[in-house]
Amino acid sequence: MGEEEPRVGVFICQCGVNIGGVVNVQSVVKYAKTLPNVAYAEDNIYTCSEAGLASIKKATKEHRLNRVVVASCTPRTHEPLFRSACREAGLNHYLFEMANIREQCSWVHAHQAEKATKKAKDIVRMAVARASWLNPQEEPELDIKDVALVIGGGIAGMTTALTLANQGFKVYLAEKEPQLGGNIRTLHKLYPTMQDSADLLDPTINAVNANRNIETLTSTMVSDVKGYVGNFKVTLAKEAEKREVEVGVIIVACGAMNYTPPKGLYQYGVLPNIVTQLEMDGLLKNGKIKKPPERVVMIQCVGARKGEIRAVDLAGFPKSDTARLLAKILKAKKEEGWPYCSKICCMNAIKNAILIKDKFPETDVIILYGDVRVYKEYEDFYSMARESQVKFVKHIEEVTPEIMQGPEGKLTVTAYDALSGQEIALPCDWVVLSTPLIPHKEEVLLARMLKVPISSDGFLMEAHVKLRPVDTQMDGIFLAGAASGPKDVPESIVSAKAAAARAATLMANKKMRTEALTSVVDEEQCIGCGLCEEICAYGAHYLEDGKSHTIAALCRGCGACAAECPRRAIGMQHYTDDQVLAQIKAGLVEEA
Amino acid sequence: MTEKTVLVVGGGISGIQASLDLASRGYKVYLVEKSPSIGGRMAQLDKTFPTMDCSMCILAPKMIDCSHHHNVQLLTYSEVKKVEGSPGNFVVTVLRKPRFVDETKCTGCGICSDHCPVEVPNEFDEQFGMRKAIYMPFPQAVPRAMTVDKVNCIECGLCQKMCQAGAVDLKQQPQEVALNVGAIIVSIGFDLFDPAQIPTYGYGRYRNVITALELERLLCASGPTGGHLIRPSDGRIPRKIAFIQCVGSRDRRFGTTYCSSICCKYSVKDAVLIREHEPNATVSIFYIDLRAFGKGFQEFVNRAKSEYGVRFIRSSPGEIKEDPVTKNLAIWYEDTVAGRIENTEFDLVVLSPALVPRTDARELAKVIGAKVDDYGFFKAANILTNPVDTTVPGIFACGYCLGPKTGDIPDSIMQGSATAARVAEVLESV
Amino acid sequence: MQEAKAEFEPVILAFCCNWCSYAGADLAGTSRFEYPTNVRIIRVMCSGRMDPTFILSAFRWGADGVLITGCHPGDCHYVQGNYMMERRFGFLKEVLGHLGIEPQRLRLEWISAGEGEKFAALIRDTTQKIKELGPNPLKAT
Repeated sequence: MGEEEPRVGVFICQCGVNIGGVVNVQSVVKYAKTLPNVAYAEDNIYTCSEAGLASIKKATKEHRLNRVVVASCTPRTHEPLFRSACREAGLNHYLFEMANIREQCSWVHAHQAEKATKKAKDIVRMAVARASWLNPQEEPELDIKDVALVIGGGIAGMTTALTLANQGFKVYLAEKEPQLGGNIRTLHKLYPTMQDSADLLDPTINAVNANRNIETLTSTMVSDVKGYVGNFKVTLAKEAEKREVEVGVIIVACGAMNYTPPKGLYQYGVLPNIVTQLEMDGLLKNGKIKKPPERVVMIQCVGARKGEIRAVDLAGFPKSDTARLLAKILKAKKEEGWPYCSKICCMNAIKNAILIKDKFPETDVIILYGDVRVYKEYEDFYSMARESQVKFVKHIEEVTPEIMQGPEGKLTVTAYDALSGQEIALPCDWVVLSTPLIPHKEEVLLARMLKVPISSDGFLMEAHVKLRPVDTQMDGIFLAGAASGPKDVPESIVSAKAAAARAATLMANKKMRTEALTSVVDEEQCIGCGLCEEICAYGAHYLEDGKSHTIAALCRGCGACAAECPRRAIGMQHYTDDQVLAQIKAGLVEEA
Repeated sequence: MTEKTVLVVGGGISGIQASLDLASRGYKVYLVEKSPSIGGRMAQLDKTFPTMDCSMCILAPKMIDCSHHHNVQLLTYSEVKKVEGSPGNFVVTVLRKPRFVDETKCTGCGICSDHCPVEVPNEFDEQFGMRKAIYMPFPQAVPRAMTVDKVNCIECGLCQKMCQAGAVDLKQQPQEVALNVGAIIVSIGFDLFDPAQIPTYGYGRYRNVITALELERLLCASGPTGGHLIRPSDGRIPRKIAFIQCVGSRDRRFGTTYCSSICCKYSVKDAVLIREHEPNATVSIFYIDLRAFGKGFQEFVNRAKSEYGVRFIRSSPGEIKEDPVTKNLAIWYEDTVAGRIENTEFDLVVLSPALVPRTDARELAKVIGAKVDDYGFFKAANILTNPVDTTVPGIFACGYCLGPKTGDIPDSIMQGSATAARVAEVLESV
Repeated sequence: MQEAKAEFEPVILAFCCNWCSYAGADLAGTSRFEYPTNVRIIRVMCSGRMDPTFILSAFRWGADGVLITGCHPGDCHYVQGNYMMERRFGFLKEVLGHLGIEPQRLRLEWISAGEGEKFAALIRDTTQKIKELGPNPLKAT
C-alpha cells in the first residue's frame, strides 16, 4: 500500500442537478467520512469548475491528502483534468481515482432517488478502497531519435522523406529497386493534369538527391526490425551486405503493385494484343503502337470485385510457416480474385482511352464496365471522354467476357450488354484489361517484422480505418501511400504528407511518455513457461535466463498475461490484483 | 512567437486533426469555429461507413483533446473578418460573437435551457428537432457551454435567474480580437445542395421527402427522435424506403458537374442501418453508378445486397408524386437494366444531395485572397504537388472545402495532418 | 426478517472494459436509458484482464451475479483479449457448477461504445434473471 497510511480525500460533485437532483449528495459526503482511510470529504456544485479544482488543491495541502477520489461524471471526460489538478497539488496523478456517479448512476436511475443514493455510496466506497491501494507511478519516458526510416522510394516515400527532411530531420530512404520512382516510372501520363509522369517524377527525384538530410539506399530491403518507438534498430540488406540503422520512426511506403492476370485469364498471355492498362501506358509512352487500331476494347474489374478472400490472420502462424502462408495467400488470390474495388482503375482506363483517341481520333474505344467509379472532379473527365466518343458499355459482370481470335488475327470480345440483355460481339485489335492494385508479396514479411497487422484485403492495416488512417497500432510506425490500400497519385501524396506530419510530431517532441499501465514480472514466482510471450499481441514479453521480462515500451497494459500466468507471477501496474480485489470486496461487503 | 502560432478556421474533423498535430509539437493553435461548438458534420452523423462506428464516440475524444490541450485555444462562435500580412507574420481580425454566457463559468448543466420558454427548430438536427433560445447544440458540445440565440430570445431573464454558476450575461458585447499568427489553415467544410431546386422531387413540399443528413439525425440515438426512424408526416415507422442518388451531383443544370464522392457510400450505410433498425422495412437505392470504392466498401455493398436485402435500381428517377391522403410517395422511373418504366410507391424518400461549398466560402476566400475553382471550392496551388496549399502562400486548406477528393473522414483527417506538415515545413524554414 | 423472494434485491458486479463496454455504459447514461440499481461497475482495461480469481472471489464474497462485458469479437482494442476471456468463461462456468453456484450467475456479453441502449437492456435482463435465481447459495452459510 505504500510507506505511509493512505489519507483519502473524497470530493463529491453535485453537477448542478445532474447528480444532486437524484442522489442525496450530502448524505453521501457524510457516509464517505465514515469510510476507512478517508481523511476528508466535501461536496462541490461542479468539481470540474475552476472553483472545484481549487478546492481539491486546497484540501490536499491542508489535510495532507495522499489519495484523491472525485465522485462525479465518467473518467472518460475529466480524468485528465483532475489528474493535472492533483499534479498541481503535488500529488502523483496515479494516486487519483474517479467514481462514476453520473453516467452510471444518477442519469440511469432518475426515478429511483433512494436506491441511487445507496448505489452512489457503494460506488464511492469501492473507489476509496481502490484508491487506498494505489501507488505512485512514473510514466516511462522514451527518448525519440530524430531520425526516420522511409521504406519505399516511390512518390509517397519520396514525398514523406522530403517533407521530413525539409523540417530538419535526417531520413534514410530505402528502396528495393536500383532506382527511385516506384510505379510512376512506368506510367505515361498522370491524371487529372495529363502531364508526363516525368514532370512529377524528375523534380521529385532531383529534390531527394539534392537534399542533404536524405540518405538514399537503393537495391536495399529491410531484413530485420528490433526495438520500439523512438529506438528502432533496423537491419537493411543490399545484396549480401547488411547494415544496421537506428531510427526513431518508421514510415512504410512500400506501395502496391499492379495485378498481372495469370496466363489464360481473359486469354492474357495466350492471344496477342491483350495487355493490362499499365502495359498500355508503356506502349503509348514508347510509341509502340504504330498503326491506328480500328477498335480498342477495355474491360474493367479484371481480378477485382470478385470472390471471397480469406482473412489473413498472422497471429496464429509460427515464424516457420511464413513461406507457406505466402504461397497460400498468393494461390488464393490467383484463383479467385480480390473482393475489393481498386478505386483508380476507372479513371486510369478513361485516361488511356482519351490518350488513344487523341493519338488516333478514328479509333473506336469501348469500355466494358460494371459501375463507372470516377469520383470528385474526375467526373468531368468522364464527360470529356464521352464527348470524345469513347463508348461506355455496362455489361453483365457475372458473365466473364470471352475473347477469341479470328482468322485474320483479329480479336473478338463477346459480352452481355446489361441494358439490352443481348449478347454483343466486339471485333477489335487490342484488349486492355483494367486490373487492381494489389499488395506486394513482401508486405506480409514487412508486416510480421514490424508487428503491424494486415487487413482482410491483404494491405497493411491502419490503427483505425476512420480516425487514424496513417498511424498503425505500433507507436512510431506510420503508413504512406498505397501500402494501406489503392490510391491515386494525389491521394498518395496527401497521405505521405500526413504520415510525415505524424512522424514529425513524435520526433519534434524528442521524448514521449507512455502510460504507466505496464506488466511487471515477479521473477521469484516466474517459472519461465513462456505462456506470456506466446499470448502477448505486442511482443512485450521475452524470456531470458529462464525468466520472463517486460518491455515496457511495447506493453499496452491489457493485462491478459497477468490473467493467464499460471503462477500469478505477473502484476499489472495501476490494475494490480490487490487493487481490483479491493474494489470487488468493497462492492460486496460493507466494512465497519 | 508568431512563427510558431497557427490559426485554424473551422472546427470540423479535419481542422481538429490539424490543430492537434500542430499543438502536439509545440505550436500554439487558435481554432476558430463559427458555430457554438466544434465537431462539424461528423457530430451530426449516427454511424460512419463501412465500419459502423458510432460517429460521436470516435469524434468526442478528439474534441476533448482540443479543449484540454494547453496549446489549443478554442474561439467558438467566432468568425474571421480580416487577414493581412504574409507567411510567418499574419495579422488576423477575429470577431467573437456574444453568446451571452461566460464560458469560463458555465458548466453546461442545462438548467437554464430547461426553464427557457422559447422553442425553435434546431439547426443541428437539420430543423427536425427543437431547441431552446438558450441551448447547447448537442450534448457532447465542446466547449461545454450554453449559447443564447439572441434573435429568438425574448429576454425574459429566466436563464439568468436559474443559473447557479452566475454564468449568464445578457449584456455581453461582440469582441474583436487581433491574432498574430505564422500560418493559416482553412477547414470550413461543406453545405448541402438544396434539393428544392429540383421541383420534381418535391423536397420542401412533401413532408416525407428528406435529405440524407436529416435521416442521419433521425437514426442517431441522441437525435430528435432518440434514434427511432419515423416518417415526418405522421410519426409512423416507414416500411418502404427509397434513396435517390446524385441529387444535384453530376448535374449540368446546376454547375455541380462533379461527383460528391461519398453519397453512394453513405446511402448504402444508411440502408443497412435502416434494415437493422427495422427488419420489416425494405430499402431501394436508385443510382446511376454505384461508387462504392475505398477500403472495405465493395465488400460492404455485397453484404448490403446479400445479407440485408437492399435493392439497387439503376435509374435516375423522373418525378415524385405525393398521395394527398397517405402522404406516400410514388416514384416514376426508368429501370435502365430491366428496360422498363415503373411507378412504385414508397412511404419515405431520402435524397442524397450534392455536397457544395458553404455559402460563406467565397466571402472567406476573398478575405484571405485565395482563389476558388469553378465550383467554389478552395483551389489547390497544384493538385499533384501542393494539394493542400491554397493559392496564397502560408495559407493552407483541408477537408471538403478543398472539394470532393475522396471526401470521406479518413481523407479529411489525412489532409488535416498534411496541412500540419506543410505549416511546419514553411514555418521551420522561415 | 423478511426473506420473501419478492423483496430480494441482488447485488451484481459488472466488469466493463475501458474501450468498448465502459463507454457503452456511459452512453446509456448520456442517453438516459434507465435500468435497475443492482449493478456495480468495475472498470478494467480489457476483458482479457479478468483473472479467474476475481470472478471466484466475487462469488465468495457474496455477489449474486457477475457480468463481464467486452468488445465485440474482432474489435478488441488489444487485438484478442476478449477471445481469451471467452476461453476462460467456458471453464469458469464449469467450476462454478462444482462449487454449488448456478453457472447462469456468470454472464459474458459484448457491448460496443455505441450500444448504450443494449447495455441498459442487458442490465435489466441480467437483474431479472438473477432475481429469479435468488440469493447466492454461498451467502446462506
